[in-house]
Amino acid sequence: MPLIINDEYPEKLFREDGKRLDGRDLNELRPIKMEVGVIKNADGSAYMEWGNNKIFAAVYGPRDVHPHHLAKPDRGILRVFYRMATFSVFDRKRPAPGRREKEISMIVADCLEPILFLELYPDTSFEVFIDVMDADGGTRCASTTVAALALADAGIPMKSLVSALAVGKIDGKKVVDLSGIEDKAGEADLPIAITWYNEEISLLQFDGDMDLDDLTEFLDLAKESLAKIHQIQLDSLKSKYVTLKREEGEN
Amino acid sequence: MMDVKRIVSRIEKNYITSNLKKEQRIDGRGLWEYRDLKIESNTISSAEGSADVSLGDTRILTGLKYEIGEPFPDLPDEGVCTIMAELLPLASPLFERGPPDEQSIELARVVDRGIRHADCIQTKKLCIKENEAVYILFVDMYVLNHDGNMIDAGGVSALTTLISAHLPEGKIGDNGLEWTGKYFTGDELVKELPLVMTYGKIDDIIFLDPNLPEELLCDGKISISVTEKKITSIQKSGAATFSIDEIKMLGKKSLEIGQNLRKELNLLQYRTSIK
Repeated sequence: MPLIINDEYPEKLFREDGKRLDGRDLNELRPIKMEVGVIKNADGSAYMEWGNNKIFAAVYGPRDVHPHHLAKPDRGILRVFYRMATFSVFDRKRPAPGRREKEISMIVADCLEPILFLELYPDTSFEVFIDVMDADGGTRCASTTVAALALADAGIPMKSLVSALAVGKIDGKKVVDLSGIEDKAGEADLPIAITWYNEEISLLQFDGDMDLDDLTEFLDLAKESLAKIHQIQLDSLKSKYVTLKREEGEN
Repeated sequence: MMDVKRIVSRIEKNYITSNLKKEQRIDGRGLWEYRDLKIESNTISSAEGSADVSLGDTRILTGLKYEIGEPFPDLPDEGVCTIMAELLPLASPLFERGPPDEQSIELARVVDRGIRHADCIQTKKLCIKENEAVYILFVDMYVLNHDGNMIDAGGVSALTTLISAHLPEGKIGDNGLEWTGKYFTGDELVKELPLVMTYGKIDDIIFLDPNLPEELLCDGKISISVTEKKITSIQKSGAATFSIDEIKMLGKKSLEIGQNLRKELNLLQYRTSIK
């Protein structure tokens, strides 16, 4: 199969004026838009646009466990299914889920489990379906963030929300929220998630090399931006009820 | 959350059928009325064309990708277009994970046949060099919410996706495949605009565009694809039987409804303009 179009990386990831290729500052997030209740059939759902990422999440549960042998008699189980649409990436993705999708499903589940009270739901399952329709870097973080929102929309008791974000190093500088091209061409990528009830880290992956100072700086940088994302999550949850209240007021 | 179950309660069933006998539907429509169709095109930046179509609460997002490959030996100067459908478990508690089931294959096949047999895609324009290189198009439909009649929503979604296509133009030079830097768009690719219309049948009442409770209740369905003047594909599914007169009537009706809908939707407005 011949290569479709040369997908070359730019030599520099910063413009002349010191801004990033998409015009952002070092610690500036891409535009983020979230909405809850977008999938009417689901118990809870959310949609997110994060830069060019477009992601849907839906929650079904608590419901019976299929296959039943996975059920636990003393607690509920959480299952996460992260999938990418065939057209969400540059080269068409094969329709069947691959190793990457399974790994991300697992790490998202690990992020979400601490915020739920699964011990209150023996013999049941919560299923979270995450479908990435358009991908442009940072989908695992965006997926975690939007899945937490869908769980909240489903009215499932939670300790708090969880927010996630990638920080990284491009052309030797530390930046937040890497875009697709920065992720591929940059030097380091560090996805981080934080559970807000105890303000602890529930997702951390890293590839590259850094010293101890770098690590400290990365964590501080991430925390500042994660607080912004948390606020957007809270606002989008509230806005559903503000709209409902307004409609109620009119009648 | 909507109340979605595999089984419709007897009381709801009686309500639906007694209303249908009076030519009324539970959502207030007449027998030959569609729910609202909402179309957005080119919503996916990674795809070479896309459409987000809602028919009532049934929502299908479709995207186009392409590869360059060899043509089939019996059609050396024609490109290839394949249509796939995926019923995401996110969309309904009725959908399960796993490889495509009958329902999703039927959806993809009926939409595919409606388009394939309609002189819609000009496959010769998808040829880069005879016997060597052609475009292979993948039109992939993802169901985001299921509230009945995925076939009609899928038909509009797939067609709008093809119309919104923007493919880089390639040619075979001395060093193999080269890109000219130009694009060709869906309006050059698409000629006829086939639309598919699905009817449900309960007892001896036939109605257009079944919603989910009607679809779960109905004895059977029939889908008819039409172009401006011709019927291009028919699929009868389910256990219902249709009389010859009914089928004649539905053929005529489909052409009529199709002509109005084609005018109303004006799908060519969703073509992509390349600067």
